[in-house]
Amino acid sequence: MKTWLMLIALTVVGACSTSDRDASPPSQTKTAEPTDVIDEELMVSLAQAKNFHRKAKVYMSDGNLVAATASVRQILSLRFPKGAPEADDVRLDARALLAKLLVSQNQIEEAMRTVDEGLASSQRESFFVANLYTVQGEIHEARAAVAEGEGDAAKTKVAEERRAAIASYDRSIQINEKLQKQLVDEK
Amino acid sequence: MSTNDEDFLNDAIPEPDTEATPSERMHARTFADIIDKSLTNKTPAAMTADDRALVEVATVIRAANGKIGLAAEKQRSIIEDALRQAIGGAGAPKSGAVTPIGKAKNRRWVPWAVTAVSTMIAAAAVLVLWLRAPKTIVQEHDVAKLPETWRSRPVDPLIGPIARESAGDASSRIDYIFADRLDGYRDRRLSGRGGKP
Repeated sequence: MKTWLMLIALTVVGACSTSDRDASPPSQTKTAEPTDVIDEELMVSLAQAKNFHRKAKVYMSDGNLVAATASVRQILSLRFPKGAPEADDVRLDARALLAKLLVSQNQIEEAMRTVDEGLASSQRESFFVANLYTVQGEIHEARAAVAEGEGDAAKTKVAEERRAAIASYDRSIQINEKLQKQLVDEK
Repeated sequence: MSTNDEDFLNDAIPEPDTEATPSERMHARTFADIIDKSLTNKTPAAMTADDRALVEVATVIRAANGKIGLAAEKQRSIIEDALRQAIGGAGAPKSGAVTPIGKAKNRRWVPWAVTAVSTMIAAAAVLVLWLRAPKTIVQEHDVAKLPETWRSRPVDPLIGPIARESAGDASSRIDYIFADRLDGYRDRRLSGRGGKP
């Protein structure tokens, strides 16, 4: 019995000492897989976005704003790699164009909804967010113009929309300045 | 036994009140002779398998009733062995058939000890495997070494501030973004390092 116990004790001690010795040089090394590299999936998504924009441009040149709007809408439903910052930027830019197309078709409220959804879904401040605020300002101006045609009764609304437009432009300028300063500091 | 007996054994079970046939009577008389001989330790050497099985059953029934005793010599030998052990007499029991009670008690720990030792060895083996398992060390710093142009990243530095007059010029911007990312993608793929720095 004592022999057995000694044998077990020696085995355990031997194992521990061997593992300690092996701990310093790793027996297996794995290089971290970069998860944020530009891969095929991102390139395919960008290519699709590019094609939809091209399609929309052709429709616009033909004066077919409805088809152009539908084409730009399809960009919003494109699937990008999870967490790709390009996805946010491309979608926000598509929303800006979509809103402008809707305004040109007198769908002002729909345009505002498109912009508001984009601003609500943005993950970070970017030049594209700033651009969306610019478009939001234009939509407020369009609202003010519509209200102006409604006569003296809508004067208050005209003033409110103009103030809102100025606030949107201010926010856009603010974001642009902040980001430009960041970029200069990084350089 | 004869073929008639086999037929007798293989026949259907008769009714309880049925008169015994001459064949049955003959078989009963023969089997009674065998039982009588077995009581005096004169069991015939040659028997059918059925008779032998019946004799064994009869012997067991008899033993269960306590009517079988050890031979006088055997009884004497066992008693002498037990007495010799009780008074600490030297030498192994002559009969060799009886294990001393004390010794048997001492051996009760053996299976437990074997089990315990086996379990401990298994535990030690598991511990060894666990402790010696190759450790995977992820070298995180390699990711940071990736060239910036290979990585998915915000396009703000590429596009810069968007002027109001070009707010809707998303088509030009997507062309620019795509071209830039394609450069990075091609660079990574054609570098021959498969994305590794």
